[in-house]
Amino acid sequence: MSDAVPLTTDRPGKVASVTPPARGRSRRLSDRKLAVAFITPALLLLLAMSVFPLVWALFLSFTDYSATRGGTGTFVWFENYTAVLTSAQVHLRAVTTLIYVVGAVVLQTVLGFTIAYLISRRTHGRGLLTTLFLIPMMLSPVVVGLFWRFMLDAQFGVVNSMLGSLGLDQVEWLTRQRTALFSLIVVDTWQWTPFIMLIALAGLTAVPKYLYEAASIDRASEWFRFRTITLPLVWPLLLIAVLFRAIEAFRLFDLVYILTSGGPGVSTETLSFHVYKVAFLGFNTGTASAYGILMVVIVIVLTQLYLRYLNKLKED
Amino acid sequence: MLLMGTTLTACSGSEDDAAQVSAPKAPATIPELTGDPLTLSFVWFEWPPAQALEKFANEEYKKVRPNATIKVNTVPNANWHDAMFTQFAARKTDFDIAILDSQHIGEAVTNGNILDLTDFVKNNIDVNAYDPYLLAAYGQFPQAETGKRDENASLYGLPLLGDTWTMIYRKDLIGDQAPQTWDEMISVAEKCQTDNPGVSGLAFHQANGSDAAAVTYNTVNGVYGGNLWDAKAKKIEGVLNDAAGQEAMDVLVNKMKPLTAKGSGNWFIDEVNAAVAQGKACIAFNWIAASGGLLDPKQSTLGKTREEILGKLGFATLPKQKTDLVPLGGMGMHVSAYSSAANQAEALNFMKWFEQADIQKKWAAAGGVPSRTDAIQSPEFLDAGPFNKVYADSVPRMRDMWNVPQYARLVDIENTNVNAALNGAKKPGDALNDIAREQQAVLDSSGKKGGGGL
Amino acid sequence: MAVSVNEAVPASPVRDRTPPARRIGGGRGRSVLEIALLTVLAVVMLFPVLWMIETSIKENRDVYAVPAKFFDFEVTLAHYRDVFVAPGGGLSDLSVAFLNSLLVAGVSTVLATLLGVPAAWAYSRFTLKAKKDQLFFILSTRFMPPVVVVIPIFLMYRVVGLIDTPLGLILIYTAFNLPFTIWMVKGFVDEVPAEYEDAAMLDGYTRLQAFRKFTLPLLVPGIAATAVFALIFSWNEFVFAIFLTSSDSVRTAPPAIAGLIGGTTVDWGLVAASSVVFALPVLIFAYLVRRHLVAGVTLGAVRR
Repeated sequence: MSDAVPLTTDRPGKVASVTPPARGRSRRLSDRKLAVAFITPALLLLLAMSVFPLVWALFLSFTDYSATRGGTGTFVWFENYTAVLTSAQVHLRAVTTLIYVVGAVVLQTVLGFTIAYLISRRTHGRGLLTTLFLIPMMLSPVVVGLFWRFMLDAQFGVVNSMLGSLGLDQVEWLTRQRTALFSLIVVDTWQWTPFIMLIALAGLTAVPKYLYEAASIDRASEWFRFRTITLPLVWPLLLIAVLFRAIEAFRLFDLVYILTSGGPGVSTETLSFHVYKVAFLGFNTGTASAYGILMVVIVIVLTQLYLRYLNKLKED
Repeated sequence: MLLMGTTLTACSGSEDDAAQVSAPKAPATIPELTGDPLTLSFVWFEWPPAQALEKFANEEYKKVRPNATIKVNTVPNANWHDAMFTQFAARKTDFDIAILDSQHIGEAVTNGNILDLTDFVKNNIDVNAYDPYLLAAYGQFPQAETGKRDENASLYGLPLLGDTWTMIYRKDLIGDQAPQTWDEMISVAEKCQTDNPGVSGLAFHQANGSDAAAVTYNTVNGVYGGNLWDAKAKKIEGVLNDAAGQEAMDVLVNKMKPLTAKGSGNWFIDEVNAAVAQGKACIAFNWIAASGGLLDPKQSTLGKTREEILGKLGFATLPKQKTDLVPLGGMGMHVSAYSSAANQAEALNFMKWFEQADIQKKWAAAGGVPSRTDAIQSPEFLDAGPFNKVYADSVPRMRDMWNVPQYARLVDIENTNVNAALNGAKKPGDALNDIAREQQAVLDSSGKKGGGGL
Repeated sequence: MAVSVNEAVPASPVRDRTPPARRIGGGRGRSVLEIALLTVLAVVMLFPVLWMIETSIKENRDVYAVPAKFFDFEVTLAHYRDVFVAPGGGLSDLSVAFLNSLLVAGVSTVLATLLGVPAAWAYSRFTLKAKKDQLFFILSTRFMPPVVVVIPIFLMYRVVGLIDTPLGLILIYTAFNLPFTIWMVKGFVDEVPAEYEDAAMLDGYTRLQAFRKFTLPLLVPGIAATAVFALIFSWNEFVFAIFLTSSDSVRTAPPAIAGLIGGTTVDWGLVAASSVVFALPVLIFAYLVRRHLVAGVTLGAVRR
């Protein structure tokens, strides 16, 4: 990740001014020591709790080690990787995950931006509105999952009850292949639309007023102003929000665990959920590690590509 | 610095656990017990019998061991296997007695997680007091043949709670007489559903978690003369999906499923109970140990008193068809290999105490389901609940699933595929063939350890 | 080269900007339409929350009523009592879980703050080798799927005996919150002019004293906001909690609430009541730090 692109720039001027002018050698040294002393504990913890486990998982992914069956693993090299990459079961979960990620992220981006746009055009009650809209995002996925499961119950759930009073048929929200995945997308959208909204709102309120004023003198159409002023300024921010959501959605586990436990059949099993099954039902630790490493690699590669695209956009 | 130390030890850790390949032996006689205060911990999943056990044990066991306190830790049902086996994998358990499902024994024994109780049982337990299959099902490994016990095989557990399915039927809707055959049951349910709008004919477990949908299919499979596997030849492919197996899948998906409520495809114990209590099902199937709440007027719309509810609900043994097999449920007690010597001694003492005739009767009266024949036949048990006679009559008819180390994966394959068939995500025939093929692959790869398996 | 979010979004309060579109074109009809649309969206988004609150004060037979009862039900607080009090009296398992959550989330937040703030300050003030790479690396540790991390963490913990201990959860949550704390606090430090410290050092203070006496006091509100977000993250966390703990005495609230279903009966009233109780502190805290929400939910990568 050496060519990583940070999301925020440091302000160069500021960094330069930090190094005090005309200072003795001893002072600089103590600065360095101070920096090392301040940063090392944090980095050590991250090394121990994030990097070391990952390296260990990488090591295990080349073995047939099992966490319960005892004994050391023997090296099987890329056997686990080929097993995962060629498995039809994995391909199925990859497609499910892809549909879910794309569906959820698109839906919440459109909705989130719409809400943000509507809010940004209000003069009164913006603070209150924003706060109210944000509630779903603050809830634990456990609470969200459980409660939607209750509301989407085909027999006594409130959603079907309301459909019933409109004269519509009961819908099996969680037990049909299509509807179950759709429900998962809807619930995720419900919870995370506020996230996109929040960031879009930050972008929208930051559009300098004079740009609009200039445009209104030119009698530019509303749509023209939106397309040429608002969108280009909000777009980069929105793309970062999308990145965050896509990464989160890609690793989704808890909502599936509670809402559908992967059903009907395995039609809402995401990659994360499948890794869990391989790791904790079969205790095929080696295979599960390879599976997990592949997921991490995918996240890193896609994020890098996306960030590069983002930078290019910025340059143009 | 502490963390660096952590990581270094961690590196060498994976070599250590090579040693154990088989279960360590429990002493033949109970070692001297401590006089100090001691907490004996169990692990079970969250359901009423867990609370009943804790209450019962603290009241009764304290009379003989005043210094002992019983704690029954509970985890969500969906997390039960994982919670126990991750602790086993950690070689450190917060429980002394694991309450394993009968099919978990193989995995625990093979990994050396629980004590071998063979000698202990010989010296301390009157094995003739039990139906041999019950003793075998909750303790023996390798697995016994259905209905039998191999007296030369090792025992790793003792029965805690017996269980099987009961048929729950609405006497006020289909009459006092319970259907006798599976076909009759289906046609009665169909008629009841037609006659009573808003009430569905059947309610049973269909969820893809735990062992829900798998037990349902296995039950129908047994009743229609199918076999889950050929245990000796370790063969599933061609056995499970033979003609009888296919017929059972067809009955389940094409005859029984259409009689269930819309959206019931993720139902398990609690949803079936709710459907019965809300008066929404003519005939339902559930575990006996989970049926107690049905008689609670506070949770039911069927009556204001227990008697009123019993006027409407009947409990019967499962209908027969080609065979009279019923699913074996319930769990045994197994001593963790990783708890302290003092706690293991206390655990053995508890088990010896628990398996006495009078204690088993008291357990029955407290709401438990005993396993000793004398306790099962005792008035204390038979009078404690309307479904207890169902259990007593079902004991000779029980059949278990596979008790092998790969159980968790086998049951997951079956659960997800049966659930898919029930919810139209797969054709019934395809689902059954997929189960057979995938389960066979898991059995065949049992030589492999943690690699190459998905 | 880098995507500069800061440039796109200059820090400025919302109130300054009157929405321009209303004055020009569109007119009243459009405004009404927009308000209507916004209202509909707000109702849809908030309905589940209202329904949850309503369910928590319904008697169980009304909970299952079809068609659903929106207004005509008897109010009961029994579910809230059940959240805290066990059936036989004494503390319920849920209240123990709430206390565990408090302990784990609280301590891990304090630790993440203690480790993160100095690191953030150092990253902001000093020129360091490969600083950008280090910072990006720190952020990227937050993006690993928890289910993947939990496998090696589990193996690691079992060697050192941290499975099913509060300390085990505290450590992983600290590591989980650290990247975010560093990124967010660094943003706040960037906003405090380094000249303050330089001036103090000319007066004879050491660098450390200058940090403690002059910069730190200015950072307090920002640090508080950061800590609240860390608290919310660890309060809501479920995946590590369910795989690394198993006993009632260690379990935190999210797995405990999840455990309310899957027995022999489901008490949705209790589920709703415990959800409300569990969510309340988070909502209050979120309200307290509403100014920093954008930075908070994006791990400090996007600031307003």
